[in-house]
Amino acid sequence: MSDANLLLAVSAMLFTLGLVGVVVRRNLLVMLMFLELMLNGVLLSLAVFTFLLGAEAGAVLMFLVFVVAAAEIAIAVPIVLLLVRAGRTLDPGSYAGLKG
Amino acid sequence: MTIETVFLSIFSLGALAGAVAMFFLRHPMRVALALIGTMISLAAIYAQLGLHVIAVFQVLIYVGAVMVFMIYAIMLLDVRDRSFTERFSPMLVAGLAGLLLLVGVLIDGLLRGEPLVAPVVREDVFSVGTFAIAFMDEFWVYFALAAVLLLVAEIAASAVIDIRRRGEDLAAARREKRDE
Amino acid sequence: MDGMLTLLVLLPLAGFLLNGLVGRRLGTGFVNAVGVGIPFLAFGVALWAWRTLEAGDGAPIVETVFTWAVIGEYTFEISFYLDRLSAVMALIVTGVGALIHLYSIGYMKGDEGYARYFAYLNLFLFFMLLLVLGRSLLVLFVGWEGVGLASYLLIGFWFQDAAKARAGRKAFITNRVGDAAFLLGMFLIFTFVGTLEMDRINEAVGAGLIPVGVATAAAILLFIGATGKSAQIPLHVWLPDAMAGPTPVSALIHAATMVTAGVYLVARLSGVYLEAPAASTLIAVIGVLTAFFAATIALVQTDIKKVLAYSTISQLGFMFLALGVGAYGVAVFHLFTHAFFKAALFLGAGSVIHALNGEQDIRRMGGLARQIPWTFGTFAVATVAIAGLPPLAGFFSKDAILWYSVASGQGGTVWLWVLGSITAFLTALYMFRLLWLVFFGRSRMEPETERHVHESPVTMTGVLVVLAVFSVIAGWFALPQYLAPLLGTPEVRFAWGGWHLLQVIFAVLVALLGLVAAARLYRDGGRPADELWQRFRGLERVLAGKYFVDELYDRALQRPWRWVSDRVFLRLGDRLLIDGSLHGLAALARWSAAAFARVQSGSLHWYAWMTLFGLVAVLIWVWRYV
Repeated sequence: MSDANLLLAVSAMLFTLGLVGVVVRRNLLVMLMFLELMLNGVLLSLAVFTFLLGAEAGAVLMFLVFVVAAAEIAIAVPIVLLLVRAGRTLDPGSYAGLKG
Repeated sequence: MTIETVFLSIFSLGALAGAVAMFFLRHPMRVALALIGTMISLAAIYAQLGLHVIAVFQVLIYVGAVMVFMIYAIMLLDVRDRSFTERFSPMLVAGLAGLLLLVGVLIDGLLRGEPLVAPVVREDVFSVGTFAIAFMDEFWVYFALAAVLLLVAEIAASAVIDIRRRGEDLAAARREKRDE
Repeated sequence: MDGMLTLLVLLPLAGFLLNGLVGRRLGTGFVNAVGVGIPFLAFGVALWAWRTLEAGDGAPIVETVFTWAVIGEYTFEISFYLDRLSAVMALIVTGVGALIHLYSIGYMKGDEGYARYFAYLNLFLFFMLLLVLGRSLLVLFVGWEGVGLASYLLIGFWFQDAAKARAGRKAFITNRVGDAAFLLGMFLIFTFVGTLEMDRINEAVGAGLIPVGVATAAAILLFIGATGKSAQIPLHVWLPDAMAGPTPVSALIHAATMVTAGVYLVARLSGVYLEAPAASTLIAVIGVLTAFFAATIALVQTDIKKVLAYSTISQLGFMFLALGVGAYGVAVFHLFTHAFFKAALFLGAGSVIHALNGEQDIRRMGGLARQIPWTFGTFAVATVAIAGLPPLAGFFSKDAILWYSVASGQGGTVWLWVLGSITAFLTALYMFRLLWLVFFGRSRMEPETERHVHESPVTMTGVLVVLAVFSVIAGWFALPQYLAPLLGTPEVRFAWGGWHLLQVIFAVLVALLGLVAAARLYRDGGRPADELWQRFRGLERVLAGKYFVDELYDRALQRPWRWVSDRVFLRLGDRLLIDGSLHGLAALARWSAAAFARVQSGSLHWYAWMTLFGLVAVLIWVWRYV
């Protein structure tokens, strides 16, 4: 198996672990961190292809994704803070008010 | 087996180890630290691939800003409730089944393709200089859009803070009424 | 004159519309002028039409009004057909009808639905004229249904009384049963003959173009329709109940005209019945049985109108007996005479009821001969006529029927004659019983009623007199001979002419016997008769219960039908299937919505897992099948 394939496999594993972590863990902040893990997995795959194609656009895109991740975390964490302040717990099971 | 492959394998292992550790650690702070470990391993991988600029930015932005912010939030919300005593949600079994499924599908998809061989590239194709020129020259529109996004995020954060303060005032007022 | 028949038919329709729409607002005078004037005008037109017919030596006058439908190669026209038979019918309908309209002025005076009454009565005339003047079975059927409608409206005229409304409904529904058979007969004829115009049907059947089985089947089906309209067994049950309507209605519709529509139908299609001996036998048998049983029931009835109702059924049975043995002209003759004396009897009864302020029970009458002499006189004359005593009208027609019932070469048998003669005896008996109990003897009236007894106004008694006069002279018109070119008389199967004379003498003796027996049994308020009935309690109960036919129908037909309607149609069909499928669809929507709503459980973990699962599914699909 070549390097690229190895890295792509790692990227797939990271992405999967991130998604499953969101399903499985019972703490809002931990779930947020698993989301970041997912994003990192995807970024790794992007990096592999940037390397393979030698494209600058790939590098620029990775940088922009960093920017977006930073913006996202800047909003997500205060939302969690507000939620916890109102609901007094980090367990997402308690926040089932929007059930259909 | 070249030296690059060895390095890549070591750091890949590190990233995966960090990810798996995140799974089983109970304290959120430890989870954050495991994630930081994974991110740094990834930075090393990027560097190995020649994407030095990106590697630097990975550490600077991701670890230095995003994870620090996460750690700040974890310290603020140190709640020892059910989310601490019970790590896993009711969907554990289903989640693990999904894990196996997704990994299986992805690896299967990966194996179907031909092995990808890296071309020989110039040394400095991803250097800081070329990166900066490309960024400001060809992709300046996206740069501007990214700036707008950051501005919006900042405004949103300010708005959230205001709500929080208003919410705090209301809560305080209610508590006063109760005490009377 | 062109369009004469159309004018004749449309006149009563105009009367209906005028009285129905504006009669109430324009007052009694207007209603009288239109409601009574128009039938008399129609009678005038009918006379004129008859004169034109005679001028043409009896050749049929055909008037096509318009083409109703052209379907494929078949054309359906609304056309009128005047020959001697329909002329006689039209004259009876308009003549007796006009008289009864005149009578109604006095009888219905002060009633709240005065204008409505005359409107309905004119509507009836319109439909009846359609019936008798129609050339095709289709037009006849329109009239047939229409008179059923008018009858329903008029029987239930005082509809605020639930019992009267129910009587109207019973009449309509019973007629409907007959009409179903009528329609089947019509369809059969149309399929095999290709046209519904009755003169052409008669020609086709007479020429032997139609197989006998088909002709018989159609004949029987049409006859069943006739039993509904003319109150023969088994569909006779509505006529006694129909007495709930105003008495002039009973006189016009249920004595003189509508109930004779069945007789007219068979006579008109005589060509078919001549080729269907089985059907004719059936008609004769049912006719005589109906006549006999109705007469027995009339013997114990205590309501003056009910006696006359059963009498009508019985006399109609006689008419069908004549039709069944091929004596079509004789049947029409009896129809003709019956119209006069039955109308006189009914209107006389109405006069009695009017005089006694609503009393209809003959056990509470008596001794009225001196107090209401005109009514008494005309009633007595009509009673003698119906009993068949010469030289009044009933004698000639009834005697002819009895003669042909035994002597006709087309089905005359002895036992038909025996039953017919017994019925004639009973007719005399119950009619004179009525006369004695109502008019003779000591008064058995309530004192309150007796004080207000008064003779009816001249609009009523005048009509009675006219009808009584016709009851006397109507028999002197040789109607069967007049209709002979159209409706042949059957051959007599006895060689010796003396049998006829013997029959005549016997018939007169029978009628006189009835008179004498009635005089003996029913003097003194009917006490001798009551004592006689004591010995036959069971029989009396059966007769008073009308042979329990209504109860039989209720048990055998209505109860099962009500069960089917409730269980099958309501609960199963309507509630379970129709409502159920609707509710089922709604429940399905609700259930599926609930099932889908479970997806939105509010749990973040569940949502994330669904994303995972969806991703896996999409990847599999894309990488494997695309």
